[in-house]
Amino acid sequence: MSGGNAVTTHGISKRYGRETALDGVNLRVPEGAVYVLVGANGAGKSTTLKVLMNLERADAGTAEIHGLDTVRRGPEARAQVGYVPERPDHGYRWMMCRGLLKHVAAYYPTWDHPYADRLSLAFGLRLDRQVATLSKGESRRLQLVLALGHRPPVLLLDEPTDGLDPVVRSRTLSLLAEHLADTPTTILISTHHIHELESLADHVGVLRDGRLVAQMSRDELQRTVGRYRVEIPMGWQATRELQVAGVRANGVREAQWTLVGDQRELIDRLTLAGAHVREVQPLALADAALAFLEHEVTR
Amino acid sequence: MNLDPRDPRPLYLQIMDEVRRALVVGTLRAEDPMPSVRELSSQLVVNPRTVSQAYQELEREGVLYVRRGQGTFVSPDVRADRRVVAREVAKRALLEARRSGLGVKELIETIRKVATEEVEEPLVPASSSKRGDGK
Amino acid sequence: MTSTTFHLTPRTRDVLVAQIRAAGLPPRGPFLAATAVVVLAMLLITIQSLNTGEVIAFHPEHQMWSGIVGLLLPIWVWRGEERFGASFLWTLPVDRWRHALAKVFAGWVWLMGGVALFVLWSLALTLLSGGNILAEETLPLLWLAPFTSPTATYLLASAFGLATRHPLRWIVGSVIGFFIVSRVGEVVNAMWLRSVLALLESLVEGPYGLDALLTARTTSQALPDVGQWATATLLWTGTGLVTLWAAASRHRESRRA
Repeated sequence: MSGGNAVTTHGISKRYGRETALDGVNLRVPEGAVYVLVGANGAGKSTTLKVLMNLERADAGTAEIHGLDTVRRGPEARAQVGYVPERPDHGYRWMMCRGLLKHVAAYYPTWDHPYADRLSLAFGLRLDRQVATLSKGESRRLQLVLALGHRPPVLLLDEPTDGLDPVVRSRTLSLLAEHLADTPTTILISTHHIHELESLADHVGVLRDGRLVAQMSRDELQRTVGRYRVEIPMGWQATRELQVAGVRANGVREAQWTLVGDQRELIDRLTLAGAHVREVQPLALADAALAFLEHEVTR
Repeated sequence: MNLDPRDPRPLYLQIMDEVRRALVVGTLRAEDPMPSVRELSSQLVVNPRTVSQAYQELEREGVLYVRRGQGTFVSPDVRADRRVVAREVAKRALLEARRSGLGVKELIETIRKVATEEVEEPLVPASSSKRGDGK
Repeated sequence: MTSTTFHLTPRTRDVLVAQIRAAGLPPRGPFLAATAVVVLAMLLITIQSLNTGEVIAFHPEHQMWSGIVGLLLPIWVWRGEERFGASFLWTLPVDRWRHALAKVFAGWVWLMGGVALFVLWSLALTLLSGGNILAEETLPLLWLAPFTSPTATYLLASAFGLATRHPLRWIVGSVIGFFIVSRVGEVVNAMWLRSVLALLESLVEGPYGLDALLTARTTSQALPDVGQWATATLLWTGTGLVTLWAAASRHRESRRA
C-alpha cells in the first residue's frame, strides 16, 4: 500500500482585486482517492485546480503534486497530471483531432496511443475532423481523451461532464471507472453535479466562498452528517446553539433535520433541549456533502 | 446488478447484498464466473476499490473464490444464504414500518394478509418474477 | 494496488519538433489554396519574364518584404494561444519560459524555410533569364540579408507580443500618442520634441537604422553599405534576442502575475 497524499495545498489564498477566490485552502487528496470538490459557482473550485496547474499563482501558500512543488517544479508536477480545464473550447482550432492528439502525445513520454484511440472510439469522436468543427460536448470528450491518454498518476478534472448529454455523461463516468481499474490514479474532480459521482467518489471537499469548510472521507462524512428524526413538544424552540447547527423548525410535533456534527453529542444536546431523537439515518454521499453548503457549520 | 443511489449504506455492502440476492434468485450459480472488477465498476460506475472490497469480503465468507489468472468465480459449494437476504429485507421493512408508526405485530399480520391476496391475484406475473433482476 | 510510477517531462527535441509542426500550415483547403496561388504567381512571373527576354538581376538586399513578413509572423505563430491566460500551451509539462522560446524558435524555422524557398526561386529566375547572380555591386555576403532582416524583425515582434497583453492597443495607442505629441510639439515648438523626432528618424534612416538592416541602405543611397548593414544587423538582432529573453521572462513559472 502506498500512503501519502497525491495532491496537497498549504494555505493557498488568491484574490482578484477585492474578491477573495481562495482563503487559506489546505487540500489533502490521498493517493488513489477519487476526491470530489464541491461548491457553488465561484466558490473557488476552478481557481484551486488552476493553482495546481500553475496557471494561476496563489498570493499565499504552496501546493504539491506527488511532493513536487507546483511553482518551483512546475513542469515535473504537470507531467504527473491529466487536466481537463474549466472551459471546453480548445485553442488549437485549426488542427485536426488526430493532429492534436499527436501534438499532445509528444509532450508525454508515457502516451498510450492504442488507449487514446480506444478512448476516442468509446467517446464517439471522429479523429479526421477539425477541432473548430467540434460541438461543445465533443470538445469536452476530446479534452478527456487528452487528459487520460498518457495514464497520468493524477487527474485534475474541472467539471468534466459539463456540456455532455446524459447518455455521454454516464458513459464518461463508466470510462473513468474503467480507467481507475486499469491504472492507479488519483482523481481530483470539481463538480456541481455531485449526485452523478455518488458511487465513484470516496473523498469530499466542500468549498464555500473560497474556504474549504469540510474535507473528509466518505465514511467520515457519513458519520458526521445525519438525518435526524426528532419528536418535539408543542411550542418547542430550538436554542441558539442548535439553530446554528441547522435546527430550524419549531411548533411541530415531529421534525426532520440534516445536522452536521458528532452524532452522540448532537443527540445529547437535543435531548437536553427537550427534544426526543427517534432515529438518525445516514445520508447518501451527495446529500451529506450538500449539507455543508446549506447552513453554517459549527466546529 | 443494480445499486440504489439513495441507499446510504456503504457501497461494498450493497454490492455484497446484490451478489447474495442473485444467488437466491438463481441468476448466479456455483462455478459461475463473476464479472471482473473492471467490468463491474464500469457497469455500476463504482470505484473499483469498492468492488474489490466487496469481492474480498465475499471471498472471505466463502461465497466467491479466485482462480489464478482466470478471475473470480462463485464457490462450488456455495449455498444461497437465504437467511442473510431475508434479514436484510426484514430490516428494511421494519425501518419503514417504524417510520410510519406501525408496530411489528401489525406489520407481520399485514404482510401475511397481502401475501394471501397476492396468491389469488398476482401483482407481478409469475414468469417475470422468476427471471429476477439480472441485467 | 501497484504504486504509481513517476512520469517524466518530455525531451527538448520532442517539444521543438511538436512546436515546429504546430506552427506550420495546416493541410486544409484555404491554406492549400493560398499555397497554390503563390506557386501559380511565381510560375506566371517566371514564364512572363522569360518571354520578354528581359534580364533580371538578383539583388538580395532588395528583399525588404521578408522583414515585413518577419514582423507579422508572430501573429500567426501565436494564434489560438492566450499568452497571458490559461493557455493550453502553459498546461503542458514544459517550463513556461523555455516553452515560449521554443514556440518562437518554431516560427523562426518556418520563416527561414519560406525565405530560402523564395531566394532560391529568385536565383533560378535570374539564371533562367540570363542574368548574373553575382551582380557586380552586390557582395555575396549580402545574400544573408533576406535571412537576417526578418530574423531581427521577427525576434522584436515576438518579444513585443510576449511582453504585452494587448499588442494591438499598444500599437494604436503609440501611433495616436505620437500624432498628438508631435502636433502639440509643433504648436508649442518644443525643442525636446525635435530631438525625439531626430532619434526616431535615425532609428529608421540612420547609419544603423532599419533601412540599413532591411536593405543595406539601398533606399537612401545608390550602393549598399555592407559595413553599416552588418553592424545594424548585429545591433537589431542582439536587441531582439535580449528583449525576447526579457519578454519571455514574463511567463516564468515562478513569476507572480
